[in-house]
Amino acid sequence: MTAHEWQEQAAPYALGILSPEERRAFEAHLAGCDACRADVRSYTEVAAALAHAAPAAEPPGALRDRVLAEARRVRPIGRRVPPRPPLPWLAAAAALLLAAAGAIATWRLTGRVHELERSLAVSDSVLGEDSAALALLTGPDVNVVSLAGTNRAPSARIVWNRALNRFVVFAFDLPAAPAGRTYQLWAIAKGHAPLSMGTFNTDAQGRARVVLPVDREIAALGFIDNCGLTEEPSGGSPQPTETPRLLGAWTRSD
Amino acid sequence: MATPPNAPVPDSQLVGRMTAGEDAALGDLYDRYGKMVYALALAIVREPADAEEVVVDAFGQAWRSAASFDATRGSVGAWLATIARSRALDTIRARGRRARAHERAALLSDEGLAAPITAAGSDPARGVERSEARRLVSQALAALPGPQRAAIELAYFEGLSQSEIAERLAEPLGTVKTRIRTGMEKLRGLLGPLLEGAA
Repeated sequence: MTAHEWQEQAAPYALGILSPEERRAFEAHLAGCDACRADVRSYTEVAAALAHAAPAAEPPGALRDRVLAEARRVRPIGRRVPPRPPLPWLAAAAALLLAAAGAIATWRLTGRVHELERSLAVSDSVLGEDSAALALLTGPDVNVVSLAGTNRAPSARIVWNRALNRFVVFAFDLPAAPAGRTYQLWAIAKGHAPLSMGTFNTDAQGRARVVLPVDREIAALGFIDNCGLTEEPSGGSPQPTETPRLLGAWTRSD
Repeated sequence: MATPPNAPVPDSQLVGRMTAGEDAALGDLYDRYGKMVYALALAIVREPADAEEVVVDAFGQAWRSAASFDATRGSVGAWLATIARSRALDTIRARGRRARAHERAALLSDEGLAAPITAAGSDPARGVERSEARRLVSQALAALPGPQRAAIELAYFEGLSQSEIAERLAEPLGTVKTRIRTGMEKLRGLLGPLLEGAA
């Protein structure tokens, strides 16, 4: 690409509308190009100014209190205070993880391999094309987590494709959440409140194969220690409202 | 995103105090930007209850990650708007693309979002106080040719990729890319006075 062509990417980059491939290429270019970095900065301000184009709306008075209540619950990252004891549900989650560890070891290597292979085979219809599926599920920058309950079923497996910024979620033997409820996945990193990875539901067979975009905040964490699944009201919750039904530890691919 | 007049402390100082865990600073930041963030969230998610969730999430994220704010990369207002937009787009993506396309077929017109904004501004009976920033931004958008404005609004308020916008507008991808780029260039020129105050 010529310098001119690179600069044409600055505005769509600032709007966040480049394709993942274009974005990666442009970010690699940005590292060494002052002119493009300056353009990105100014277009980021232009894009952010578009927020003022939203039709005026008055937030409810109680919203300020909710914002502050949330802040009092979670401490800022990097604040120098002694670490607080983990949230009660995290402790319960840790216990569940320990209890599940034995079970994971036994079945993880057996039936699940075949199950995942079957999932991969049918994932074409979900992901579009073979190549898209392969790109999501393979590559040097892909992490995997298996989520297990205390019994054999249900279970889930999640592939985190960092390069494409997608989670690919496979769930098995997980009864569909009832009307008005949904399943929600949580990224659990040490020292952070759980971050929502997104919501999904299973079909009548208790299965799901979904692709979720990776939230910027999760991507910024770099590595997630654990992943949990809870049932929440439709649309998901800002924080988990129950002890995870399924929980697993991410494995590093690197 | 200029700092409001008579502001005793610059925005960046508020963020610094947030890093130190001072929740009063977050309250001050909310007083400055809460309305903008809520209006943005509502414009994207359309449901007041969802918009409130987005506001709580966005300020929560700003609070937790205050230490990562980098003043050399942009203003506090731009940082907050970027976080809020990202959370709001996550919300509508979670709802599913099909429902969204249905809900928003109305946006397909060349008028885009600028029409309701202009209407709101010209109706003093609504009692909506429009800041200088709002006036400048809606004027700048109104100055763009309709197709450029529509493409930029689809990108910003719906988070559609350039190829999705092309599909939605039934235009060639190259045309859409040019419209967005040209429109953003014009906006940058028109919004110069506003953006200089942001640094």
